[in-house]
Amino acid sequence: MSIIRIEHVDKAFPTRHGTVTVMRDVTFDVQDSEFLAITGPSGCGKSTLLRLIHGLETPTAGELEFRGEPIRGVCPQMSMVFQSFALFPWLTVQENVAFGLEALHWEPERIRAQVERYLSVTGLVGFEEAYPRELSGGMRQRVGLARALAVEPGVLLMDEPFSALDPLTAEALREEVLQLWRDPALPPESVLLVTHNIEEAILMADRVVVLSRRPSHVLETVPIPLARPRDRKSPEVYELMDRVYSLITEGSARPGSG
Amino acid sequence: MIYGTILAVVIPATLVHWGGSAGALIAQLPTAGLDLSYSFGRMLAAYLASLGFALAYGYYAAVHRPAERVMIPVLDILQSVPILGFFPVAILFFVELTGPGSFLGPNLASVFLIFTSMVWNMVFGVYESLKTIPSDLREASQAFGITGLQRLRRVVFPATANRLVYNSILSWTAGWFFLVEAEIFSTNSSAGITLPGIGSFLSISAAAQDGSAFLAGLVLLVALIAALDFGLWRPLSRWAEKFRYDQTPSSDGVTTAEDRYRSARLQRAASFVSRGLRSGASRVRAPWALITARRRRPTRSGEGSLRSAAVKYIVLGAILVLVWLMLIAIIVSVYQLFTAPILPAVRQQILELPAAMGASVLRVVAAFLISLAITLPLSIYFARVSSRASRYGLPIVEVIASFPATALFPVIIFELLPYLTGEGAAILMLMTGMMWYLLFNLLSGIRGLPPDLAEASRSFGASRWLYLRRVLLPAIFPAFVTGAITAFGGGWNTLIVAEYLSVGSRTFQLFGVGQMIDLGAQEAGGLPLLAAALFTLVITVIALNELIWKPMYRKAVQKYRYD
Repeated sequence: MSIIRIEHVDKAFPTRHGTVTVMRDVTFDVQDSEFLAITGPSGCGKSTLLRLIHGLETPTAGELEFRGEPIRGVCPQMSMVFQSFALFPWLTVQENVAFGLEALHWEPERIRAQVERYLSVTGLVGFEEAYPRELSGGMRQRVGLARALAVEPGVLLMDEPFSALDPLTAEALREEVLQLWRDPALPPESVLLVTHNIEEAILMADRVVVLSRRPSHVLETVPIPLARPRDRKSPEVYELMDRVYSLITEGSARPGSG
Repeated sequence: MIYGTILAVVIPATLVHWGGSAGALIAQLPTAGLDLSYSFGRMLAAYLASLGFALAYGYYAAVHRPAERVMIPVLDILQSVPILGFFPVAILFFVELTGPGSFLGPNLASVFLIFTSMVWNMVFGVYESLKTIPSDLREASQAFGITGLQRLRRVVFPATANRLVYNSILSWTAGWFFLVEAEIFSTNSSAGITLPGIGSFLSISAAAQDGSAFLAGLVLLVALIAALDFGLWRPLSRWAEKFRYDQTPSSDGVTTAEDRYRSARLQRAASFVSRGLRSGASRVRAPWALITARRRRPTRSGEGSLRSAAVKYIVLGAILVLVWLMLIAIIVSVYQLFTAPILPAVRQQILELPAAMGASVLRVVAAFLISLAITLPLSIYFARVSSRASRYGLPIVEVIASFPATALFPVIIFELLPYLTGEGAAILMLMTGMMWYLLFNLLSGIRGLPPDLAEASRSFGASRWLYLRRVLLPAIFPAFVTGAITAFGGGWNTLIVAEYLSVGSRTFQLFGVGQMIDLGAQEAGGLPLLAAALFTLVITVIALNELIWKPMYRKAVQKYRYD
């Protein structure tokens, strides 16, 4: 059952050099409780697409719906994890994670308890009073994750969350995110992951939406019917990576195809 | 804005009140034009001197480590001193030097004055832009063996070009402000010196309530500034843009490019003032950085020829001579203070100095708080780049900001007084000298907010109030401190004219340290008062810097920096 529908969405920006159309006629949906990855060549608008879904941007044409309702303004059932972490440098870890709850006008006591809960979930116990600049990249992204989870979203949006991290840390965080997603007692239910790392998309997602070059459209939605944990060295994974890779390179070489 | 309103409303009203005619106006144009050309000549001379000085001093300090340790703290101190306070001293000195009645004396004094108002931020601009050449560029140029003149052209000049253009714009703005202020000061009845220029022209016209003349002068001044702005600075800025370093890596590039295009104009306006004025911040940072600096590889300094080394030593010598001259002026006055018999009236005034200083401080603080109350909401409004207001409003603001408000002081003093009271008029004048520093620094701080932080705030649905409290205000705190430091600097310098002005038979004065400085410069036997008042002012400014601004800036840099 689809909880998010994206129908014939166009997005264009006016720039100094005229109008740039980033995407044209993008259509797909997000199923309940699924882990969906969105990938494509650089500049294809994957991050913009995520923001359209969240409600941070509005489409030039087309419709986006969440649970049957059109998305107008920022959707509070979704929260985002950013590529650059986007933590507030003058707030402690505690205060950063509490930010979304403050925005929801929770009482301080309730906020404290909730923050504590998600700090332990993301392995940040003991760092409550630390400032972001004192933390490593991996820790900072954990704070970003805790902040996004603390508001208990139905859908977690992740914008290239691991691309600023070193490979080992990224690996560890991927595992943690998968575990959190699969835990029925914890949010989120669904995850939307934007990434340019094809391997990452295939290792994590149930389906991968592959976008073409700008102006992008959906080349194909590739299902990943493999059981987790997935082995990156397995032939199935290789095959899928090949498939997505050639989709992107060919689909981009022949604009309008697919 | 304050004097946008004054320009648009009060001036015409005043001119109507004064009377005059189009014919009289046109008749006045040649005189006004001539005076304006004197002023422009002084500005040009001071600017060229500043440019040369800044390039030499900044380059030398950036390249030679041992010199740096001395030159930058010296600059730091020189920059903190409210230069306009020394105008009377400078006049006395140069008049002594060139003989009374010579026209060279007052002109040299005024050129020297504008020079000191222009030069510091340019020196820091050169120095900082050289020090912050990205190390990979520096290494690349060394690896390719670029030396000497080629290095100058390919590495040094591009590095400094961008900053120099911005800081030049800023310096001209400050220069106009102080030149007009100095020229107005020269019209003080008992000053006994003449400084023909647009400032004195406007001041005398205002005192005589000659509407046509005043408008003629004003129109020409605005025309000249606008012509310089559109004909020189804007093209130069556009050309200098290509020397910027930031190449944003293309991610999903379109959003960023769009944002950057829209914000480029605003950034330019905000950054040109703030970067130049961040010299106020580097006042604190630079000496501190030197003290805590770690060892660095020695630069290849031997590449200069004998001639360039000689040039550097000459410049260094010139700097030392200047500093020495200033010190002598102060020492002589102080000496007289203690040895010459002091007139009882003057002694009385000297004893009142602490109270006078206090009154002035209160005025400046009041002007600051009112300015803040105006500029903070204004900058938050302007910084939302998508609004149409910033697209059109900003160029207008830029032009208005470059207009020297001091030109309007005579009107404020002589016409608005009944409506404002003396204190109100003084605070208004102080505000004009302070507001722009604050506004542009705040704007720059707001624009400097990383867009992902603003986005994160929106993503979590923060209310406007939460956003202000947790995101925007903390983010602009460093910019606020810089703005405050430079605004107060502007305030101290404006005191001289804001607290005392006498033209012809009309006199305006308020109890304060600015008044004391003016009186000291004019009264018979007033030299001890002048020295004491200057001393009081300098001490107070330095004390405030050390006790309030520097700690605040340190905290701002420590807690509110993004990295």
